[in-house]
Amino acid sequence: MTKRVLVVDDAIFMRNMIKDIFSGGGFEVVGEAANGLEAVEKWKELKPDLTTMDIVMPFKSGIEATRDIIKHDAKAVIVMCSALGQESLVMEAIEAGASDFIVKPFKSEDVLSVVKKVLGEA
Amino acid sequence: MAKYLGLFVSEANEHLQRLSEGLVRLERAALAGPERAELLDDMFRHAHSVKGMAGAMGLEGIAATAHRAEDLLGVLRRGQSPAEPEAVDLLLAATDALSSMVEQASAGASPEADAALADRLARAVAAAKEGLPLGAGRPAAPPPAAEAEAPALPAPGGLRSFTVQVSVSAGCPVPAVRGFLVLKKLNGLGAVARSTPSVEDLRAGRIPSRRLEVVLDSAETPQALERALSQISDLESVTIRALEEAPPPPAPSREPAAQAEASRTVRVRAELLDYFLDTVGELILAAARLREVGRSLPEPHRQAHEEGVDRLQGIVKDLHGKVMSVRMTPIATLVERLPRVARDLARKMGKQVEVVVTGAEIEIDRAILDELSDPLVHVLRNAVDHGLEPPHLRQLAGKPAAGRITVAARRERDRVILEVSDDGKGMDPARIRAAAVARGVIGEEEALSLPDREALQLACLPGVSTSDVVTDVSGRGVGLDAVKRVVESVGGALEIDSSPAVGTRFTLRLPLTVAVQSALLVRVGDEVLGLPIAKVHGAAEVELARLERSQGGPLLGYGGGHVPVHDLGRLLGLPAGPPGPRRSVVVAEAEGGRVGLAVDALIGQEEAVLKPLGQPLSLVPGLSAVTVLGNGRPVFILDVSRLLAA
Repeated sequence: MTKRVLVVDDAIFMRNMIKDIFSGGGFEVVGEAANGLEAVEKWKELKPDLTTMDIVMPFKSGIEATRDIIKHDAKAVIVMCSALGQESLVMEAIEAGASDFIVKPFKSEDVLSVVKKVLGEA
Repeated sequence: MAKYLGLFVSEANEHLQRLSEGLVRLERAALAGPERAELLDDMFRHAHSVKGMAGAMGLEGIAATAHRAEDLLGVLRRGQSPAEPEAVDLLLAATDALSSMVEQASAGASPEADAALADRLARAVAAAKEGLPLGAGRPAAPPPAAEAEAPALPAPGGLRSFTVQVSVSAGCPVPAVRGFLVLKKLNGLGAVARSTPSVEDLRAGRIPSRRLEVVLDSAETPQALERALSQISDLESVTIRALEEAPPPPAPSREPAAQAEASRTVRVRAELLDYFLDTVGELILAAARLREVGRSLPEPHRQAHEEGVDRLQGIVKDLHGKVMSVRMTPIATLVERLPRVARDLARKMGKQVEVVVTGAEIEIDRAILDELSDPLVHVLRNAVDHGLEPPHLRQLAGKPAAGRITVAARRERDRVILEVSDDGKGMDPARIRAAAVARGVIGEEEALSLPDREALQLACLPGVSTSDVVTDVSGRGVGLDAVKRVVESVGGALEIDSSPAVGTRFTLRLPLTVAVQSALLVRVGDEVLGLPIAKVHGAAEVELARLERSQGGPLLGYGGGHVPVHDLGRLLGLPAGPPGPRRSVVVAEAEGGRVGLAVDALIGQEEAVLKPLGQPLSLVPGLSAVTVLGNGRPVFILDVSRLLAA
């Protein structure tokens, strides 16, 4: 069954890029969110198989959003989209329950490889 | 750690000895009721202590075995086991195995747990809980021979220990974060016993050679662990290995090296040290008596006798000094291992802690020091377990993520004050009141009428614990009541201060010694007398004739007020010497307030070994004890209050 993905990033161009990667890789992007608050709402509504989460976003950070989502479902699969220099934030997100992370700038095959592994498909 | 090994070996052996004595007693005298409960409590504590000490020393095998024994004792204590003789057999076997492991540890080895024994203990616990005879429990693990892999070391709680080695691929831009993710994942599958590099190193971005090695206690199969790690990207290699069983313990032939190591420190009963002190005192007196006798000898023999006595007195004096120094021990031996205990514990609980120790050089009588070891570790564990909040809650509260525990020792006159403070969440007086009422140790009305600070002290009553969850860290019945009992048994006092969100402080006020007191030596005429330094406020040199007088007696202006001055010689009925123009006045604390005692000279301060007075001297008012100075001279220690009342 095609896996359903929620893409969370405050930059439209990043969302578009990530959406393209997933669509090209056989995933279905079921929703997107531009901040942490929206992310939690969308997640509750959509219950996706996978969420990609930017870390630094307005209103609510990706770390807090991750924490909230994990509170609803400890098994929720969330992959953080980070940049170099954000190591400590990524570790915080991992503590909050993130399953894995990718580091920007990323290549499409790297993203797909990480999420497939996380979902146990690789 | 090596410097604590001797201490660990001697203490652990003592606990194990008591444990095996207790087991034998339990079996021999079919005990019942409170007596049985008390004995089992005792044995439980011994096993618990061995576990805690071994854990602090990093001797996992000993800790794991002691943990199993403690479990079984816990079941017996709750009266669940219908098959006591088998349990005693098994526990004796465990005690023997622990003794043998401690001996190996004394030779510098880190012995592994005996898998078969641990399995038998685990089965006995399971069987007892189900109310079955001990032999009938299901095997906790398939027989080792049936397993393709090396049999795993049983870790606490029916788990197995694994070594997980991971290397992060060169393409990963943030290898430390990968390592952190692996660690987090493993933590979800079991308990991480050790990690190299540590989680702190990983947080700081350090992962030398991109390799991570973790010792994990887990109930999962190696395949399940491998599957879990296969979901993590950027890992070049993953090796999972069940820890191999330890080689069989060496035959009881003792290695000379092990013996030599163990003999460097010897544990001596405090009573024996008391006896040494007494005897040295007697020796000093006897030598002084010999010298007196010698003076009446005719000349040709007198010279030789004098030389002999000189030599004897020299030796006795030296011995006296040695015996004294043996008794006084810096508390460093006690407190230096605390940071490690706290750190290990905090890591296990996902907390961070920084322990600061001050005043480790403060000396205290060894007899007291020995008693304090368990209580202090307990107070520390209490602080980490119940006091400190998890890092995220601390940050929410605006505190640094790492909790801070201060262990501070200081001398205050004739007391040693030992404080253990944390900057955690504090204790809630309301909850303690409620717990005390629930336990029936205090009535509800009485509890409510107590001021908060007094309510906190209720936590020291037996059975009052405010923890909702009894953890294996500081719960399980070895509680603050035990701490208080020990502190009071050495003549000390335990106090708790706490304020919500700011932290908690445990204060142990301890006597410096059970038998040694600092005394101020003074001269009156030809006599030398001692005043307990704790009672001395100060001293001044004055011309008695020029002092103000009131009701016929002189008054000394002191500390903004006036104290009445008494002539110490006259109080004691000593023949009055030629009155010098200037006298020294010692200001001392008496029951009715401060008084001045006029003496001919202040000689100085000395650590005095107090010996109780025998009759008829004990009947003389104003004398409290006698001590013998290094030069052989006996000196009476005065009781100022009784002296004035006489």
